Amino acid sequence: MSALLTYEDFRAGQMFALGTHVLAADEMIAFASEFDPQPQHIDPDAAKELLGGLAASGWYLCALAMRMMVDGLFIRATSLGAPGVEEVQWRRPVRAGDRVELDGEVLETRSSSKADRGFVRFRFTMRRINADGAGERVMFFSCSVMFGRASAGSA
Amino acid sequence: MWFDDVPLGDKITIGSYTFTEENIIAFAKKYDPQLFHIDPEAAARTPYGGLIASGWHTAVVWMKLMIAYRYARVAAGEERTQANYVSPGVRDIRWLKPVRPGMTLTYTHEPNAKRDWASLPAFGLLEGYNEARDQDGTLVYSFVNRVLIARKPA
Repeated sequence: MSALLTYEDFRAGQMFALGTHVLAADEMIAFASEFDPQPQHIDPDAAKELLGGLAASGWYLCALAMRMMVDGLFIRATSLGAPGVEEVQWRRPVRAGDRVELDGEVLETRSSSKADRGFVRFRFTMRRINADGAGERVMFFSCSVMFGRASAGSA
Repeated sequence: MWFDDVPLGDKITIGSYTFTEENIIAFAKKYDPQLFHIDPEAAARTPYGGLIASGWHTAVVWMKLMIAYRYARVAAGEERTQANYVSPGVRDIRWLKPVRPGMTLTYTHEPNAKRDWASLPAFGLLEGYNEARDQDGTLVYSFVNRVLIARKPA
């Protein structure tokens, strides 16, 4: 197994492609039934009247982005989680069948008061890939993620 | 309720939720499968010293409790539906303390600011400050939610 990415491996300007995902109605509804049971997220008929069709909960998009961040980057890094998120913007409705991609751009890195880790500030952007191949930004947020330092050993 | 009529400063308790090893792992296996969220033994060897909930789990429980609170109010005839509400996002999410199995968090909501929203002049932006505290009253989580609400027609 190759060594995990540590704080020292990140540089401002790096761009990480974090994969693509096709949204499935049953996944969207399963999430929303438990955490965001509003008609536009769980009832296809009511959603048709309200928004022209079932739309993903914004919180589902956050959870999906998290999963893509883990699978695409954190699984091979010394991630120690994040103390917060600066701002989440939900810009467009996202529907079942939509194909989305996620990328993470490193905005800056900074040391921590704890010697075993450092902060990597990212801008994560989710785009819908439209039929013509063009990407349309549907959600983005910035957050600082903690990563273990190489000198601290793998977390 | 129209944007113009929403009172500011009324802090409400929207509900409580108990995090368990079972629901922490179930959420994280789907959405945040990092070792300190899904594997108690591996988590014990991380700086967290044990299993902790995904921050997004703590976050989405707010939505779950808020919907239940609103729908209960509607059912009781105390409030009308909010079909004219849409959220452009949230800000200042702060995961201040790890959430561990057995913790019960109580969530509060306080509408505290109104702003114009240039791209949708028929709507106004209402911001609310939200907290979750543990059984001892320690602040564990906070964020600001934002909803666009229709203005009273002129």
